[in-house]
Amino acid sequence: MIMKLLATDFLKIKRKGLWFLTILGPLGVVLLQWVNYELVPGRREWLLQRSDDDWLFYLQNVNSFTPLALVLGITILTSLAASIENETNAWKQLIALPISKMGVFLSKFTVLAFLLAIASVLLFFFTWLLGIYLDLGAVIPYAQIATFSFYPYFASLPLLALHLWVATVSNNQGIPISLGVIGFLFTSYSFKLPDWLPWKWPSLQNQWDEPLVNVVLGICVGIILYIIGMLDFARRDVK
Amino acid sequence: MEYIVETHHLTKRFGKEIAVNALNLKIPRGEVYGFLGPNGAGKSTTLRMLLGLMRPTAGSIRIFGKDLKKERISILRNVGSLVESPSYYSHLTAYENLEAMRKILGSPKEKIDEVLDLVRLSNAADKKVKSFSLGMKQRLGIAMALLNDPKLLILDEPTNGLDPSGIIEMRNLIKRLPKEKDITVLISSHLLSEIDQVATYVGVISKGKLIFQDSIKAMRNKAQLKIRLKVSDANNAYRSLLAKGIKTHYQDHIIYLYEQSDEAVAAVVETLVDEGYSVYRVEEEHQSLEDIFLKMTAGGDDR
Ligand SMILES: Nc1ncnc2c1ncn2[C@@H]1O[C@H](COP(=O)(O)OP(=O)(O)OP(=O)(O)O)[C@@H](O)[C@H]1O
Ligand SMILES: [Mg+2]
Repeated sequence: MIMKLLATDFLKIKRKGLWFLTILGPLGVVLLQWVNYELVPGRREWLLQRSDDDWLFYLQNVNSFTPLALVLGITILTSLAASIENETNAWKQLIALPISKMGVFLSKFTVLAFLLAIASVLLFFFTWLLGIYLDLGAVIPYAQIATFSFYPYFASLPLLALHLWVATVSNNQGIPISLGVIGFLFTSYSFKLPDWLPWKWPSLQNQWDEPLVNVVLGICVGIILYIIGMLDFARRDVK
Repeated sequence: MEYIVETHHLTKRFGKEIAVNALNLKIPRGEVYGFLGPNGAGKSTTLRMLLGLMRPTAGSIRIFGKDLKKERISILRNVGSLVESPSYYSHLTAYENLEAMRKILGSPKEKIDEVLDLVRLSNAADKKVKSFSLGMKQRLGIAMALLNDPKLLILDEPTNGLDPSGIIEMRNLIKRLPKEKDITVLISSHLLSEIDQVATYVGVISKGKLIFQDSIKAMRNKAQLKIRLKVSDANNAYRSLLAKGIKTHYQDHIIYLYEQSDEAVAAVVETLVDEGYSVYRVEEEHQSLEDIFLKMTAGGDDR
């Protein structure tokens, strides 16, 4: 059943700009660094002087925008996905089909998690390609590129679960958008946030300097929030 | 009789308001069941509960003899529905909309062309639904409801927004379904004229309560002819008729006759004249279904 639902959900996101955003997000993050390094003459040399490890410094620069792009992307993707059903209240048509409500929620979550995963893979390749273009050194730190591309993804799963929950059960789409704006502001100042706030996690910072902690937290709390959201979604009356 | 839908004390409460109050619906197989009630009576709420979209506050629902609470998915496999305004994905074409549903239902692909043809949308199949007229959207909604070859079709005010020719088309379609495909149809409306033309069975709901449920024939029988007499000193006239053994009904200075044959009417008039009363008017009062419906729904104000 879940495969049928997934096939349907992928059909529904056609022409809605979700795929476009999936590509735009990582491209934008990396292009910002291209601007940072290349646009002003001499800037690149100055940046390279500032660190011993040019690749790491570059990856950190990229990563300063990744969490913002993720939070923004999650907000927009979940709102778009919910708006597809909300526009003509297609929920009542969908839920009256012989499927479980939990399956409906799982399918939506899976589609969005998949799109964000694609975005992370693209981020990996774009980061790698720009790094080579910028000529940051012959030894390419693949493991580190992967860390900076995929860890934020796992660390932001709680935000995805939270946003999907709020977007699917709100009658007023202003609520998830407001949540997104607050989340965006939180993430912008993530270095000042306490470690326990999920909006800090995609930045990969924590008091132990161990990014893996954020990944584990992200997956665990993500699963918990997902289950809460799914149960609440299944419990509610369809208007 | 075999009932396709049977509810027992079905109740839905929104906060303090009781939208649906202890409904015992019985929908016999193969009928077009007209679910009639004024705005806000609780029709849509009832239909939503039948589709598992809303959870009843109390009571139970059996469809195809199965408990909806326990076997929702297997029941819904054989139910088609169109609740309130049609739902669709406006950025997709009519075909894609149906394909999205078909994938879930697992019906064969040919079914899409078949239902598009049935509602005469074949030519618009590859147009985005965004550009559809209201009537076309409504017809697409019907096509969606028929995609799984349902045994029970639930339509909530399906002629909303249709023009006269669209309404006639819809009526003909609804009338055909039970005969040709053994579908039981549950159709709601706030207009008696709508129901009158398609339904074979009627349930009337008012302020959340079911106040009538029977065949449309039984409802028509209620709509009988009445003879009314306007006479001088009507109250005494009524008494003298009664003294002569002629039973009538007296209300608001009007005498209503039970016996309606020409002879009976003539006899009453003769008696009244003999007794010295003046007969001002002898009239026929035809009670339409509409009158009955209005009377039914006007009463029962005791929420
Ligand atoms: N989701 C809801 N929350 C609160 N009240 C509701 C909700 N849905 C319906 N109601 C109330 O329940 C009552 C019955 O509404 P319902 O939509 O079932 O009426 P209806 O018979 O379908 O009317 P109409 O002919 O206008 O479609 C109304 O008083 C309405 O205000
Ligand atoms: Mg209604």
